[in-house]
Amino acid sequence: MATDPRDIHLIALIDRIAARHAHSPSRPRADGEAALRELYDSTSSKLYGVALRVVGQRDWAEDVLQEAYLNIWRIAGDYRASLSPPMAWMGVIVRSRALDFLRRRASERADAAAALDDRVADTVAGDDPGPMDTTQASEQARALHECLRQLEARQREVLSLAYLRDLSHGELAQQLKLPLGTVKTWIRRGLEQLRGCMARFA
Amino acid sequence: MNLLNHHQLLDQLAASYALGTLRGPARRRFEALARDSATVRASALIWQERFASMTELQAGEAPSPNVWKRIENLVAAQPQVPARAVAVEAAMFDKLRRALGLWRGAAFAGALASVAAVLVGVNLSREVDSQGSQLAQVSRQSAVMAQQNAQLAAQLKATPDIQYVAVLADDKAAASMLVTFDPKNQRLTLQRVGAYQEAADKSLQLWALPPSGGPKSLGVLGSDKVIRLTAAEGEVREVPALAISLEPKGGVPSERGPTGPVLFKGALLRTTL
Repeated sequence: MATDPRDIHLIALIDRIAARHAHSPSRPRADGEAALRELYDSTSSKLYGVALRVVGQRDWAEDVLQEAYLNIWRIAGDYRASLSPPMAWMGVIVRSRALDFLRRRASERADAAAALDDRVADTVAGDDPGPMDTTQASEQARALHECLRQLEARQREVLSLAYLRDLSHGELAQQLKLPLGTVKTWIRRGLEQLRGCMARFA
Repeated sequence: MNLLNHHQLLDQLAASYALGTLRGPARRRFEALARDSATVRASALIWQERFASMTELQAGEAPSPNVWKRIENLVAAQPQVPARAVAVEAAMFDKLRRALGLWRGAAFAGALASVAAVLVGVNLSREVDSQGSQLAQVSRQSAVMAQQNAQLAAQLKATPDIQYVAVLADDKAAASMLVTFDPKNQRLTLQRVGAYQEAADKSLQLWALPPSGGPKSLGVLGSDKVIRLTAAEGEVREVPALAISLEPKGGVPSERGPTGPVLFKGALLRTTL
């Protein structure tokens, strides 16, 4: 049961979007559309940030965001079956659409690899702490944040890129122009530390 | 070794699995284990949930206001339907959504049906853009377009030798010409799908844009809705894109290349890939 007032509000909006399929007079379609608007207003900047992080270019990220909200509009009824906090549920939808987008591009365009290199060239630039933002975060996200904060910046970056962009060790090494062994070590140590830390929040 | 007796190793594997870095045979072994054991499944799910929160930690940034307009238009363009038709509508809409994404991302699934969907999607979004809140009208148009879509798909299916397809669009990404090429019959077929019609003293000319060298003329278009040109496969194969320029009546010689503005262009894709 969500107790965070913000989560409760988001869940109510998702429910209203889902309820439009019922076509009952008390829940007209317009109400679903109004709820979608409200959901968009309160979540789009966060989700755009996710899309941008995965695909790396603004116009691509906007396409992904559009697809993601249309996706949410269609599958809002499925939310109740998931046990995730609403922002995490939507975040995963955005990530999936963003990964689909990149896969389609990769299979379609011969120059996608080159574009990808440009795109990620600046992502692990050193010991920059990297943007992490806990405003609007669920309790679960705050725990993850707390544990990620204890990692070295570059370990955190590599873990976060591995997840958000669904990259293998080899792909990470290639994209970040790092030796494969280094990537493997950072991931292994990062995960190890994260495991120890997250266990305390379990 | 029984993994279940090694709690720490299990947790490590589950974390790598959820992160996505556990790959290949190791990943498949882990998945097989998870199917057998609720403990392994639970472990993997916990990590999936934890990493899902990674999306919540990214710095936010306001998207352009156009994104909401596009979403609003696409949502509004869905026809009002009785409950039993919702599933069908959803499927249609899904196609449309994907087609739009494909179009805007310049990606392409390759299936002929998708091409038809692209046409409908792009037309629809343009119509919707220009008509704002006239929802009823848009709904009617969307029904008409769905019908056209079905016709087009049927038409395309009835021509089994099509191996190349291009959707040529203007600079606003509105589809204007569907081009198909049947190498066996050496036939290029162009169908006008937008409202564009050149003036009586002008002609449209189709160009192949090869990877190297200048554009090569594939022919001059008549003013009909459907135009058939003859081309050898060699002229079309390996050509990544086609373009249409506006030329004086009767067109210009190929060697000179286009003299007028390029109105439409698009990638040429093999349907067999």
